[in-house]
Amino acid sequence: MSLSRTMLHAIARLLTPYEREAVLGDLEELHSNNWRGIAEIVDLYVRRRIVLWKSWRPWVASFGLAVPLSLTLMGLSVSIAKAGQQWINGNILHGSNLALGPGLALLLSNIILLTAWSFTGAFVMGTISRRTVRISVALSFVPCAFCLARFRIESLSRFCLLLFMIPAAWGLMYGLRFARIRLRSALFFAALITALTIPAWSTKGAWIPNWALSWPAWYLVATSLRKAPSLEEHHPWQIS
Amino acid sequence: MIGEFEYVLLTAAAALGDEAYGAAIREEIERSAGRRCSIGALYTTIDRLEAKNLLTTWMGEATAERGGRAKRMVRLTPHGVRAARDFYNTILSVSRGAAWAVERGQETI
Repeated sequence: MSLSRTMLHAIARLLTPYEREAVLGDLEELHSNNWRGIAEIVDLYVRRRIVLWKSWRPWVASFGLAVPLSLTLMGLSVSIAKAGQQWINGNILHGSNLALGPGLALLLSNIILLTAWSFTGAFVMGTISRRTVRISVALSFVPCAFCLARFRIESLSRFCLLLFMIPAAWGLMYGLRFARIRLRSALFFAALITALTIPAWSTKGAWIPNWALSWPAWYLVATSLRKAPSLEEHHPWQIS
Repeated sequence: MIGEFEYVLLTAAAALGDEAYGAAIREEIERSAGRRCSIGALYTTIDRLEAKNLLTTWMGEATAERGGRAKRMVRLTPHGVRAARDFYNTILSVSRGAAWAVERGQETI
């Protein structure tokens, strides 16, 4: 097999099996030159990708979720890591009593919020535009790379910034796999998040990041009430 | 209303009837419209028309001349026929009185 033909078959793997079958068959039937075939397949792939971005969904997933969520959740991750370190130093290393003071309650509340925000945000990111999820994930790493390079807290590892990634990866995996969440679970997340953010409502300026992080949970409630999309609507030749 | 290329594709598929599939439609468009038609433009337009329920597609049989690969067959739906007819009638109606349409009419006579 010639180099151009090997490349043609390798590039054709960008397409779904059904579409690959039809396109390679068409090129064979039309006796198309291999290099021209490669250009045609790349053109089809690019057009398919562009078509996806004509919808609001990938834009919301990328710029309404991935970027703002990673930016704000990195801040919360560091805050939790710092508070956790102080609590461990104060109560375990230098003290003897494990008192459940307001500091620990706030720490626990923040850990639950970080987990719930990351999980619901990533879940929605995975369901809202699954075909562009790789781009959304890549965009969520942009603020992370920027902050990792500028992290200057001596006592903490820079990887504390990425604490939110664990529940986010879990949420994304679930979002891609199940697409929808049960109403009971969605309501649980939304109520939990809203209840835990109530103390911050009186803090001036805190409601903007709170609602930016909380809307995915309420979006999950709204979508869990909708009818599941029919499998017949799935077109096997469109890019996965 | 459908677009110009969508109309061209629907008309080519209708002309081919049961033999309408990717490569055949492409050849028909290039022959009748005298313009180049890329596989990218063809298949993305087919998907768009299918999403609008103007045509339906399915995987057909494989042939030796295609290297044993299957065809993506295309058929117009009743909605597709209506949309193509509406487009054609609109073009005829808006062209009435235009110099090129009058010249064409005189040539025909």
